[in-house]
Amino acid sequence: MTLPQTQPAAHQIGAHWTHQDGEHATLTITLCHACSGRWFPPRDTCSTCASSDVENITSHTRGSVYASSVVRIAPRGFQAPYVLAYVDISGVRLLAHSPSSDRALAPGTPVELTVARIADTPEGAVTSYVVTALDDQHTTTGEQ
Amino acid sequence: MKPVYVAGAAVHPFGKHPELNAAELGYRAVHSLLETTGITPDTVDTGFAGSSYGGSLLAQRVLQRVGISGQPAFTVENACASGASAIHLGWQAVASGAADAVIAFGAENLSSFGGGTLPLTTNDIEIEQGMVMPAAYAMRAQRYLHDFGATVDDLTAVSVKNRTNGALNERAHFQHEVTAQDVANSRPVADPLRLLHCCPNSDGAAAVLLCSQEVAEQLHTPRVRIRASVVRSGTFHTQYRDMTWPDITERTAKAAYAMAGLGPADLDLVELHDAFSIAELLHSEALGLAERGTAHRAVRDGDFDRHGRIAVNPSGGLMSRGHPVGATGATQICEAYWQLTGQAGSLQVPGASVALTHVTGGGIFGVDNGACSVHILTAD
Ligand SMILES: [Zn+2]
Repeated sequence: MTLPQTQPAAHQIGAHWTHQDGEHATLTITLCHACSGRWFPPRDTCSTCASSDVENITSHTRGSVYASSVVRIAPRGFQAPYVLAYVDISGVRLLAHSPSSDRALAPGTPVELTVARIADTPEGAVTSYVVTALDDQHTTTGEQ
Repeated sequence: MKPVYVAGAAVHPFGKHPELNAAELGYRAVHSLLETTGITPDTVDTGFAGSSYGGSLLAQRVLQRVGISGQPAFTVENACASGASAIHLGWQAVASGAADAVIAFGAENLSSFGGGTLPLTTNDIEIEQGMVMPAAYAMRAQRYLHDFGATVDDLTAVSVKNRTNGALNERAHFQHEVTAQDVANSRPVADPLRLLHCCPNSDGAAAVLLCSQEVAEQLHTPRVRIRASVVRSGTFHTQYRDMTWPDITERTAKAAYAMAGLGPADLDLVELHDAFSIAELLHSEALGLAERGTAHRAVRDGDFDRHGRIAVNPSGGLMSRGHPVGATGATQICEAYWQLTGQAGSLQVPGASVALTHVTGGGIFGVDNGACSVHILTAD
């Protein structure tokens, strides 16, 4: 069997648990029925109590920032500066980029989930779930 | 458990040593340790090496060069806590009676990676997303400033204090003071942290001799007693956590205080994991050295100065010494040994008789840190 020759496809981090609906995105979160633990990324077994009595639920499209920073010295594959934020959403905390901002988002800033490019590699663009601040005073438009 | 002593310490000065690999650095520290203690290779029962990037069989590569060959040897990886983990395993061996004399060391050469942030391990979702350690601590810093009314100037005060201490430490990577203006002028790394809020990537090695009372009495070296040796791992969850409270440090310290029968008020000096200036504030509170949300004021008030209420990082900390990951925990024990035996020279904390060392290791998704180690040592 010969594989088709294609352009390098964009790699999407978290593709398995990210759902796009037009402008918005939601995430799959695991809820443990045995201990009420919540997990993101989703999993088959609860990492608190090892129960397999778990259910996957869909997150809200909105959350709020716990903390944020602008990374100005980037690891390989990323182009500084870029904004990272820990975001609380539907009972879990996740790390996300905020490509629409050029400065750190203040704690408590309401954000919306979307999907966007977070890095460029020789193999192509890397996309993932990202957040956009809903409060205009914390954001600027334009490039990164 | 049998009492465990540190009867010798040796450090290869930290800095940029691109021409010396981890095994060579480790060899120099261990060779110096044999010379200063006079212990013979055949009386060493076992050896432990701590390193993150030093390669396979580092313990054998180093120990066999100084004649410790044939005995059991182990290399342990626990990120920044690797060296302290090696010492913990050596402590276990002596405390259990399985060994009477153990060499534990840490060695690392980070120059081999070039500049920039350290390459973190793969197979971690946050690292895949572009997380780096400065960003992790930067976010904790932003939240600490937000929650407790501290300012970037408070972060800077930690850098100034520790670089002032390190200016006197001939083993430190950086041996000069910096001003608040120097810090403010340094390159931004991850907002609000600038370069001088961060420890440097360094190369270096440190080694200690751990032994039973019988062996200690045969040697003609000053000795200190290990009253507590504890290692813990991070508790994993992905729900909302308070990132201004390093619970791994609190849990490890509580176990160490209980083991030693000592508390924060008994300590004369602390060498803690100030990989970033915010880390000194977070960890000093979790160690019980200051009330929650007040460590920035303690630094400002001089409480943590060498002649203050409790000396925090009198050696200069990671901020001055540098941070050759696996060697850091071992060099903290060496600094404590010299303090408690009155050999710390211009770094000496007057009347030091109780010391605590603390190191946390590793950026890992879902936990504060991958590993944490706390040791408590006393002059006798
Ligand atoms: Zn569970």
